[in-house]
Amino acid sequence: MRLLVIEDYRPLQQSLTKGLREAGFAVDTTRDGQEGLWYATGNEYDVIILDLMLPGMDGLEILKKIRTQGQKSHVLILTAKDTVRDRVTGLDLGADDYLVKPFAFEELLARVRALLRRSYRQKNPQIEIKDLRIDLTTQRVWRGSQEITLTPKEYALLEYLAMRAGHKVSRSDIWEHVYEFESSASSNVVDVYIGYLRKKLQRPGKPQLIHTVRGRGYVLGPEA
Amino acid sequence: MMRSLRARLLVGTMCGMALMLLIFSLIVHAVIHRTLFSQYDASLASTARMLAASVELDGGEVELEFDVQQMPEFVRRDRPTYYEIWRSDGTVVARSPRLGTNDLLRLEASLNSPVFATTRARSGLPLRVASLKFIPRISDSDDEQQPQLSKEHALTLAVARDASDLVGQHRVLRWLLLVVSAVVITLSFLVAAVIVGQGLRPLNLIATEIGGITEQDLSTRIGDAYIPGEIMPIRNRLNDLLSRLEAAFKRERRFTADVAHELRTPLAGIRSTIEVALARHRETDEYRSVLSECLAIAHDMQTMVNNLLMLARLDAQQISFYTEQIQLAELVNSCWQPFSGRALDRRLTFENRIDAEIACQSDRQNLSTVLSNVLDNAIEYANEAGQIWTTACRKDDSVEMAVSNTGCQLTTEQTSHVFDSFWRGDSSRKDAGVHCGLGLALAERIMRGLGGSVCAEVQPGGIFTVRLILPNVEESRSIQ
Repeated sequence: MRLLVIEDYRPLQQSLTKGLREAGFAVDTTRDGQEGLWYATGNEYDVIILDLMLPGMDGLEILKKIRTQGQKSHVLILTAKDTVRDRVTGLDLGADDYLVKPFAFEELLARVRALLRRSYRQKNPQIEIKDLRIDLTTQRVWRGSQEITLTPKEYALLEYLAMRAGHKVSRSDIWEHVYEFESSASSNVVDVYIGYLRKKLQRPGKPQLIHTVRGRGYVLGPEA
Repeated sequence: MMRSLRARLLVGTMCGMALMLLIFSLIVHAVIHRTLFSQYDASLASTARMLAASVELDGGEVELEFDVQQMPEFVRRDRPTYYEIWRSDGTVVARSPRLGTNDLLRLEASLNSPVFATTRARSGLPLRVASLKFIPRISDSDDEQQPQLSKEHALTLAVARDASDLVGQHRVLRWLLLVVSAVVITLSFLVAAVIVGQGLRPLNLIATEIGGITEQDLSTRIGDAYIPGEIMPIRNRLNDLLSRLEAAFKRERRFTADVAHELRTPLAGIRSTIEVALARHRETDEYRSVLSECLAIAHDMQTMVNNLLMLARLDAQQISFYTEQIQLAELVNSCWQPFSGRALDRRLTFENRIDAEIACQSDRQNLSTVLSNVLDNAIEYANEAGQIWTTACRKDDSVEMAVSNTGCQLTTEQTSHVFDSFWRGDSSRKDAGVHCGLGLALAERIMRGLGGSVCAEVQPGGIFTVRLILPNVEESRSIQ
């Protein structure tokens, strides 16, 4: 899942980015409002974490512009402004969540996960596809009763496919949602990782879970 | 002692009213009394004179003409006139037969002018007495040979008549005056109470309105629909005061909110840096870098808290200043020292153009705080590879020092806010959280404390200049 962090206070920006990456997210980050808007409108982020007082452009201004351009990304406002009026203004301008600084990092993570479930209409934090079981909170994966150990990248890929289970997912979708803007990987990496993932999920006598749709991408679970 | 305006007005009015009524009643009483008694007394006096004229001295004997004694007013049964005549030694010469053995009141009178008094007879009836001292005629002598009798022969005569109707009328008059006064006082009290109440209504309304104003609704103002001219100045002053209070409260609230906001951001930084670091096991170097990161944030927070404390102390005038002779060029150089590294990083060039001769009397420590804040601001907002320079010149009774930097993108309107607490010009500042907009506010407050002033301006070409105006110049001492 790909996130954008727009936060101008350097220590916070750095720790947020680090923490979110370690939690398995692909994170793009900037400390400038203008640049933030450019990132937000040019890519399809799952969640945008937005500070309000920013140099270059105010956070609420960015939010307005994102929404008028029809961007569907979920926006979480992260700010020191804590009055009811500020929260109401932010939410009414199209934000999906509001968190006041200082905050517990765990809570931020939980809120981001909740926003992700919402954007993929996935209420249950446990996804089950046939005998494959994924716990979105602890990021653990089982096939039948056997736990499967995945690298963070592999897990991120599986999670994305699972969130859109039953739907065709193109390479460029995967590229957009699983990889960071500045990552050095090229799009063949997707195929390589799909290969790794298939191998790890494969169990003798059990059917293949990831199907290739020729020229169009992949599907997890029963073919659409 | 009387705190109530209403009671004061009422008591004042009533006292005045009572005093006037008293004076009026006394005058009326005196006039009527005089009129009533003067008629009565005139008739008594003429009777007395007539009686005196009828008294003759025959040898040593005093004689009273018989026909006078038999005059109807002396003998009538109802309300008779009594008389009695005494010698100067007090022995009774004659008295009206109706008196029996009773005496009339003997008044000391001067010769030939009657005096009057009211007394009571033994029966309890009031008597009006006229008393006359006279020298009797000598009987059967010619007028020419009339020997002058000496004062020892003078007789005193008293004539008395029942005066119950007179006294009665007098009493009625007194009661009448008393009752009328009481009624007038009562009525005027009621009227005065209503008028005073009405008159004080605007005051009461204002009092109620003011009483209703709490800290929460300082935006209310006292209306002027019902306010009389006399209270207008009070109302205007109160409204002014309310405006100022409201502004002060707003400023205070905004300031507190800004402080909270500015402290929250670095706190969030510390917290999330630590939480992320603790999320998993890490290498020692990583912990080390997290710790130094947090330490840097703590330093910034400490600076901010110190600035806030300094602002609060300046506001409370708890800071004392020690003036001494300060060489400005040298002060600027020492203040620049700590910033030179940062300036180098941003490839800024610095030039101190202050003449070494220029000096002033001021507080060294506080003035260097001001200069450091202004220089810090210049380094922060100058363009990359820009210029910073300082100048100073001597005016009539002040020294003006200026710190300028290139690369300013503020408008003139924005420049007017640079000394507001927590105000930050929205430029592409690189270090959010470090500069929270207190430096110039503090500089301005300190300059005021030093008796000087500070102003900022933007010149064409993006040159931002902060001018520090210091009072009290001493003739500079030449170094040579």
